[in-house]
Amino acid sequence: MIDLTSEAKEIIARYEDPRSATLQIIWRFQAEEGYVSAEAMKQTAEWIGVPLAVVESTVSFYTLMFRKPVGKYMLQVCRNLSCSINGAEDIMAYFREQLGIGHLETTADGLFSYEEVECLAACDRAPCMQVNLDFVYDLTPKMVDDMLAAIRGGTYDVPPMVQTQKPERTWSVPKDTVPKSPGAQHVPSPNDPGGIGDKSGVIMLDRFVRDVTPDRSRERLVKDGRAILEYEDGHGH
Amino acid sequence: MDTKPVLMKGIGELNLRSIDVYKSQGGYEMLEKAVKTMQPADIVSIIDKSGLRGRGGAGFPTGRKWQFLPDNGEPRYMVCNNDEAEPGTFKDHMLLEETPHQIIEGMIIGAYAIRSHHAFIYIRGEFKRGYEIFCKAVEEARAAGYIGKGICGTGYDLELTIHRGSGAYICGEETALLSSLEGKRGEPRLKPPFPAVKGLYGKPTVVNNSETLAYLMPILRNGAEWFSSVGTERSKGYKIVSISGHVKKPGNYEVPLGTTLRTLIDECAGGLRDGRTFLAVQPGGGSSACLFEEHLDVPYDYESLAKNGTMLGSGAIVVFDDTTDFVKAALALVRFFSHESCGQCTPCREGGHWLELMLERILEGKGVASDIEMLLSVSHQITGINLCPLGDSIEPFLASVVKRFESHFRKYIREPQYA
Repeated sequence: MIDLTSEAKEIIARYEDPRSATLQIIWRFQAEEGYVSAEAMKQTAEWIGVPLAVVESTVSFYTLMFRKPVGKYMLQVCRNLSCSINGAEDIMAYFREQLGIGHLETTADGLFSYEEVECLAACDRAPCMQVNLDFVYDLTPKMVDDMLAAIRGGTYDVPPMVQTQKPERTWSVPKDTVPKSPGAQHVPSPNDPGGIGDKSGVIMLDRFVRDVTPDRSRERLVKDGRAILEYEDGHGH
Repeated sequence: MDTKPVLMKGIGELNLRSIDVYKSQGGYEMLEKAVKTMQPADIVSIIDKSGLRGRGGAGFPTGRKWQFLPDNGEPRYMVCNNDEAEPGTFKDHMLLEETPHQIIEGMIIGAYAIRSHHAFIYIRGEFKRGYEIFCKAVEEARAAGYIGKGICGTGYDLELTIHRGSGAYICGEETALLSSLEGKRGEPRLKPPFPAVKGLYGKPTVVNNSETLAYLMPILRNGAEWFSSVGTERSKGYKIVSISGHVKKPGNYEVPLGTTLRTLIDECAGGLRDGRTFLAVQPGGGSSACLFEEHLDVPYDYESLAKNGTMLGSGAIVVFDDTTDFVKAALALVRFFSHESCGQCTPCREGGHWLELMLERILEGKGVASDIEMLLSVSHQITGINLCPLGDSIEPFLASVVKRFESHFRKYIREPQYA
């Protein structure tokens, strides 16, 4: 592992509390190693004097911190409003088709990682994206072709990220596999009566009462539910 | 109309990233004059009189915010918020990359005004180029004696630390920004205590947007009245407006507050693309409700927009023409807020996700008629019961387009008995 001791010391000295330096040090590790390794987090925790879990918790909050290896070229295409109404959907579909991978995935050769990201603050040049955090504006399928060819041919003008480990298929936990609150998982979804499609943990009382509960308790629930809603309405809710 | 009157003057023509060019345009003169000849309290009073309001989104009067700092001898911090990520906003990104010294000069003047000796700037993680440009500008300013010990030969010391974000929209909210600056997860904190009382490291702190700070120098140079004579009764001065969406010339335009939406869209941004008709405009970033044809003569200022049920926010205008599918547009924003929820408050975390699933289902053609009512009901129930405004940001746009463009939503609902 790269030795960042003296640099870390310098970063820590900028702040009144060493903990402030956490992600600034992690950024440096990521630049040197291509991702945030367990060792990098352990080392950082030691330097700033907190338990490892504290650093892990912090790192896991931020989308630009890759806790698993990624491709040499991180392609992040904006999917937010101004891009989306200006053709981003077509660009995203084209990327997925050309790369053969989806959102949050890395190609088998470890060259490309692909992510659909939120507003990049370049809405006047929509649709836009970042390649290893360098902006590319006013995207067209032709530009995508040229970009991918140049990267594959080693002539693209943005340098690759360091890659010290071979990436897996994804570096992130896909949304659909995240366990939701257990109470919601086996409750038939009001939107999908009889099924268990709903994983969100939100139960809409009116639908739940209408579609799910047996007749005899239905009346009672409706009555209680009304009472709750009226109570809340009366309290400036 | 001059759309580059103050902060944007010279952008695109001069290399304002260089300190020499910036100084040749009068840069850092006011700073020197301020630290040498003015008392901090005088600056606070001038800014207060100018009527400058926070340009980040909340629109809180800047001078008044500064006056909330308790005088208890504790160290104070000045924090510049350049974590710009509100959908549709791209002004701080431009200031950071094109004219970093204006932000630096504003930060130093602001820090001097609140008697702080340590200023921070929080730069969004995605702005790699901006970060590099800003680092270089700070080095130049340091070498020129504007940062560090004894600024401009006076007894005033100021350290300036550049802090890079790591990818989280919520860190633009001031208390989340402070959590993040302390090296924690970017989770908002309960207010009160407000940052002015207990901010960074529990000490009195002012968090100001980059654009707000950049306006300090021109206000000091030209006087409070110069600024307050522009704009409307309660919205003084100029504002950089980011216009995007279905217009011919999307971009940043610096205009007097109170300019009508029609002028902004037609004159500044070149109007709609040929052959298209106007459907809606979102006037204040992803968190604001849409306005429609009948609102185009509404003046673009804090109070007029509030009166019309929306807000000025960060000054991001997104224009929609008749090619827009508002179910997809609603999904883009709902998914954004669902993705960016920090997860502390259940209504925001679960409600946003729920709405996202509903909109995806509607787009898949599996919607039922009562979904329309439920979109309104769920988004309304999320609102007003969270620690920070993120959860409250879902309802305005969604509700405004569901009500106005119900047909867009019904179109996807295939079951004939419901449609």
